[in-house]
Amino acid sequence: MLIQTTQLTKNVETSEGILHILHPTDLQITAGETVAIVGASGSGKSTLLGLLAGLDLASSGDVSIDNVNLGDLDEEQRAKVRADKVGFIFQSFLLVPSLTALENVMLPAELAGNKAAEQQARELLTKVGLQERVQHYPNQLSGGEQQRVAIARAFVGTPKILFADEPTGNLDAATGGKIEDLLFEMNQASGTTLVMVTHDNALAKRCQRVFRMDGGQLTEVTGDVG
Amino acid sequence: MWASISWRLLKQELRRGELTIMAAAIVLSVTAVLSLALFTERLQGGLTARSAEFLAADRVLSSRRDVPQEWLDKAQASELQTAQRVVFNSMAFANEQLALVDVKAVSAGYPLRGELLIADQPYGDERVAQGIPAAGEAWVAAALFQELGLQVGDTIEVGDSRFEITRVLTYEPDVGFSVFTDSPNVLINYSELQGTGLIQPGSRVRYNILYAGASDDLADYEAWLTPQLNEDTHNWRSVEDGDSPLARSLQRAERFMLLASLLGVVLAATAVAVAAQRYCQRNYDVVAILKTLGAERRKIQKIFILHLLLLTSLSIGIGLLLGWLLQAVVIAWVGNHLGVTLPEGSLRGVGLAAGTGLLCAVMFTLYPLLRLIDVPPLRVLNRQLGGAERWRWLHWLASGGTIYALLWLYSGQGLLATALFVGGAVAAAVLLLISRVFIKASRQAGMQAGSAWRLAMAGLQRRAQANSVQMLSFSTAIMLLLLVLALRYDLLEDWQRQLPDDAPNYFLVNVAQSDVPALQQRFAERDIEANDMYPVVPGRMTAVNAVPVVDEVTKEERESEQAPQSEQREGFGRELSLTWRDTLPPNNTISAGQWWEEDPKPQVSIESGVAERLRLTLGDELTFNIGGEVFTVPVTSIREVNWSSMQPNFFMIFNTATLSEFPATYISSFNLPQERKSELYELFRPFPQVSLIDLDAIIDQLREVIAQVSLAILFVLVLVILAGILVLLAQVQASLEEREKELVILRTLGAPAKLLRRSVTYEFVILGAISGVIATLAMELSLWILQTQVFELEATLHWRFWLVGPLAGALVVGSMGRLACTRLIRRNTAQLIRRLA
Repeated sequence: MLIQTTQLTKNVETSEGILHILHPTDLQITAGETVAIVGASGSGKSTLLGLLAGLDLASSGDVSIDNVNLGDLDEEQRAKVRADKVGFIFQSFLLVPSLTALENVMLPAELAGNKAAEQQARELLTKVGLQERVQHYPNQLSGGEQQRVAIARAFVGTPKILFADEPTGNLDAATGGKIEDLLFEMNQASGTTLVMVTHDNALAKRCQRVFRMDGGQLTEVTGDVG
Repeated sequence: MWASISWRLLKQELRRGELTIMAAAIVLSVTAVLSLALFTERLQGGLTARSAEFLAADRVLSSRRDVPQEWLDKAQASELQTAQRVVFNSMAFANEQLALVDVKAVSAGYPLRGELLIADQPYGDERVAQGIPAAGEAWVAAALFQELGLQVGDTIEVGDSRFEITRVLTYEPDVGFSVFTDSPNVLINYSELQGTGLIQPGSRVRYNILYAGASDDLADYEAWLTPQLNEDTHNWRSVEDGDSPLARSLQRAERFMLLASLLGVVLAATAVAVAAQRYCQRNYDVVAILKTLGAERRKIQKIFILHLLLLTSLSIGIGLLLGWLLQAVVIAWVGNHLGVTLPEGSLRGVGLAAGTGLLCAVMFTLYPLLRLIDVPPLRVLNRQLGGAERWRWLHWLASGGTIYALLWLYSGQGLLATALFVGGAVAAAVLLLISRVFIKASRQAGMQAGSAWRLAMAGLQRRAQANSVQMLSFSTAIMLLLLVLALRYDLLEDWQRQLPDDAPNYFLVNVAQSDVPALQQRFAERDIEANDMYPVVPGRMTAVNAVPVVDEVTKEERESEQAPQSEQREGFGRELSLTWRDTLPPNNTISAGQWWEEDPKPQVSIESGVAERLRLTLGDELTFNIGGEVFTVPVTSIREVNWSSMQPNFFMIFNTATLSEFPATYISSFNLPQERKSELYELFRPFPQVSLIDLDAIIDQLREVIAQVSLAILFVLVLVILAGILVLLAQVQASLEEREKELVILRTLGAPAKLLRRSVTYEFVILGAISGVIATLAMELSLWILQTQVFELEATLHWRFWLVGPLAGALVVGSMGRLACTRLIRRNTAQLIRRLA
């Protein structure tokens, strides 16, 4: 099992008492699967994503990636897990504004000490159709182009898992469609496990498994997504 | 690998101008410190050398007795130059007339500093003397030529010796400012001293050793000598110790420059702090992304520390270069302007400047940096998350400690640093409180205003917390600027008051009572403004409260253990110039007792220094002997006298009823421009017995020094203004970033650019104006403390600043805000939204 959670919960303390953002959740995702988590805004999808990726700590329960329990690791060790096994795509692209497209893509590989970072980054940027724009800074690129850079960056370290948080949420329908295609195409080519948070049912349908998050409760959708 | 990431990030940030303010702040603090340190060091070197001329040496040991040869030998061994000077009163005899003179016997080398000016004829062309009078010769002051009807080549008798008069003495650097208490000088060679037979046990003689040399050698010698000195017998003096107007001007200027530089450095440090905070906040996302992508904390630390080090080293390098160039340009200009050569600066300034830049950069970025590194990776999903607040105490400790350290490092005075620091902290707390109250009040006022105003007020209120901090830095910057401006104005005005353009440059003595009306008429005819005529009656003070004073303490008495100590008082030891007057002279203030109002009872007013020295108090009965007539008067007032004013001043002033019956001569002072000097002869031709003392040389010297100091002050002021503007700029930029999101939303919702520009402008105008009011208030308070405690100036209110402060605040902060906002709004909405994304 590549990703596994056991009775995973997340609570936060507020002035009105404890708020249960994520109710006890059990989830198993095997390598190579594509998984979508759908739900309304504020339902807890992004919280789950943060926990699965080791960006946040659970209130109780366990989450493990590749049989490593993230709860047993400190921040540094979790960072190491991310560096080795995880890629990310965000709704707001989250590129480093002071680095070029090429440098942004190289970044994870460089952080992992990969000597061939630049070559890999160039190949990936060519794959996403941005070979002409490698020296451009994020503010010189359109939203769609920025997300393509983000996709290239997500694949640079050949991660086992790709976490995507509303990857087309900030894009118009046409651009969003192209980005979806690119994402699935590259995912398929590399055999990466994809965990995607979205409120777009059409996008969710392209995944092998779909889960719905509702008020912190996660249930797998077996029939039509809606 | 991390180093290349760091370098790439830095390169682009620099290119995009994101680090400009922070770099500029570091550059400015280094430039300011270096140029100021070098400039003041060199200027001070020049000034001290110039001022040393007033002593004719770097240090002077004054003694009632001849000093041991060992002290002179030690000075020579310490590589110091020395010269001897012995001064005493005596009667000089020539042309069958007698006159009281000050005899000055000097050894070769005199004067060690400054120049002796001589002429071949009274009021003839001056030239610099090479050496001193040869044995058997005397150089005599012009006044004595008039008094005794002398000519060059005549013989003058002093004691048992006869001297040929070979030169007219026109200027002695060490003549001092007390022209009325001294008799005309006769300069002779030291080797002639014994031959006069005037140096007897009990003679009232001042033995002076003049020293000159390197400051380290002087300090070593001083450390060796001073423990051996006897307070009653010896007096060790440097230029700064003197009560001359110059010494005080120098001290004030030095304090001003020190203070202004401190404030400049604190301002630059504030700019670094504001810019560093902003820089770190803008990098929160970058850190979150790096962490999400798997960067370890250590790597991120290295990336940003390297950033900072590169930025700091680059800025320090530029700052050092600029600072060096700046002071070189200014020094060259000052040198050309004033025709003086200033000594070279030392490397101390470079260390101080680089240290200051490094300290500012490291300590003020410590907390923002810790917070930055602490940003959780989860920020990629939740943009509200920032760095932890748990380091806040460290922030206060680091920035407070740094400011204190800078104050101390720069002033070298723990007490001053502590006072400024505590004062500043209290002021900051009060400013914070007042700004909150102002914001609250202005919110209510704004509710009745138009839409742009309402938006502005709502903005102010919503960001009350952030705004009060911003207002604190606006207020501090404006306050410090006003403070330096006002102080400079006060100092210059004070100097100007002391030495107005029409300051008297000639003193008249020995005017016969019968000549007074005629002389006054001549002055009026020629449109020469003269001070009052003061009658002078020579007399001796012989007893205090019926106890005779000891005028001449003999050597034997002084050395005798049985010498009476408490009963007998020391007198002046010489004849005094006594005067009478109905009104208090200008530049005199009563410190005890009361000035008489046409009171016929005999009474006297005494100068405070004399009162202290002779232990005289109000009500003491003083006995005087004037030409054999003895009378006693009570002391009814004690006066503070401004000795630096160029007017006749007196130790003892009597009421008219007491003294007016005695025969008197008159003295006065007047101003005559140099170009009218030729009129002097014609003016005084009918009054051959009147003596004229020319003070132009002394006044010119003073003016020159003050001009140098004023330039230095202007230079400091420009640097402080630059630092202040930088703080304002950094703060406006930081504040606008907080408003950016809101502006973008309003713009997206269709708010016209005009409305947004106006609302932002109004918001900054209000912030600036309120800061201006607070700043002026704080400035007045600080100024009052500084004027009374540090600069010994009269405390004054600066009404014009009450207008200038708020107006300048509103104008500068408002226009900076508008400019920044205009730049932002010029982008199209899509660009703006992307910027926020």
